[in-house]
Amino acid sequence: MARDRCKHQWKMVNLRDGFIVTEKCYHCKAARVYFSYEEVPPKDEYKEGDHYWNYAGSAQSVKFDMECSECGKVVEFEELMGLMQCAQCDASCYLNILSHVSESQNVWLYAALSYKGGEEVDLPPEKLEVLSAHFTGRLRTPGKKILTVPGSLRKSPDTCKGEMLRDVGMLSLTPEE
Amino acid sequence: MTVKDLQSKLNLKALNEATDTEVEGAFISDMLSDVMAGAKAGNVWVTVQTHKNIIAAANLVDVPAIIVVRDKKVPEDTLQMADRVGVTVFATDLDSFQIAVKLYEAGIKPTT
Repeated sequence: MARDRCKHQWKMVNLRDGFIVTEKCYHCKAARVYFSYEEVPPKDEYKEGDHYWNYAGSAQSVKFDMECSECGKVVEFEELMGLMQCAQCDASCYLNILSHVSESQNVWLYAALSYKGGEEVDLPPEKLEVLSAHFTGRLRTPGKKILTVPGSLRKSPDTCKGEMLRDVGMLSLTPEE
Repeated sequence: MTVKDLQSKLNLKALNEATDTEVEGAFISDMLSDVMAGAKAGNVWVTVQTHKNIIAAANLVDVPAIIVVRDKKVPEDTLQMADRVGVTVFATDLDSFQIAVKLYEAGIKPTT
């Protein structure tokens, strides 16, 4: 497929507020993440197939699409839940290793954590490129770049100490358990 | 005006090194999603948040300095991350409105 001829200038559009909701099955310990556009995060317990899903936490966030201000092309990011900067917690994690190398060149990695059907997936390269171009285009520090990378570069989502950029506990006076 | 100039003009307490990065405009919000979507490069960010993710958000959009208001305690891991990415963290006992007035009086104007 021929690449676009347009030198895209991406801007965030179609911003939608909502919640990143995490649920856990108390039967098999499976976890899933999805985005809710409800005014308050859904906290129902329910059975679905063999799973007994319980609310396990939520955080405010925003969804967006990207539109090119030159040609009008729109790229949707429905599966993107958030960006995460490496916490450098595990020396053997690929994301950590790459972060160390890239940061020395003033290139800052952000993992694009994405979910489909509740399960983690990687954004395709073309969408990662759009995110990188957009955020790099907003910088003014000479030589600095933002590079968004797949979440699967993390050694393990379960042990990763990096945290997604999102707003936790903004609606409650008491911390979530 | 640089981050260092801002520190001097507003008599702000820097919790780590103040840089020579130019400051242009200010952004006031306690939500990371707001900053990701709306902050402009060079803005000084005013917030009550102190979690280390404020540094990740600032770095993403080239915010060179964060003013943490209302004497909120900034954890050490936040400052370590700030040093890693080169963002200055200031602390003040003023609230967001009071510091916004001072920023405006110091010449920090809204950016469009």
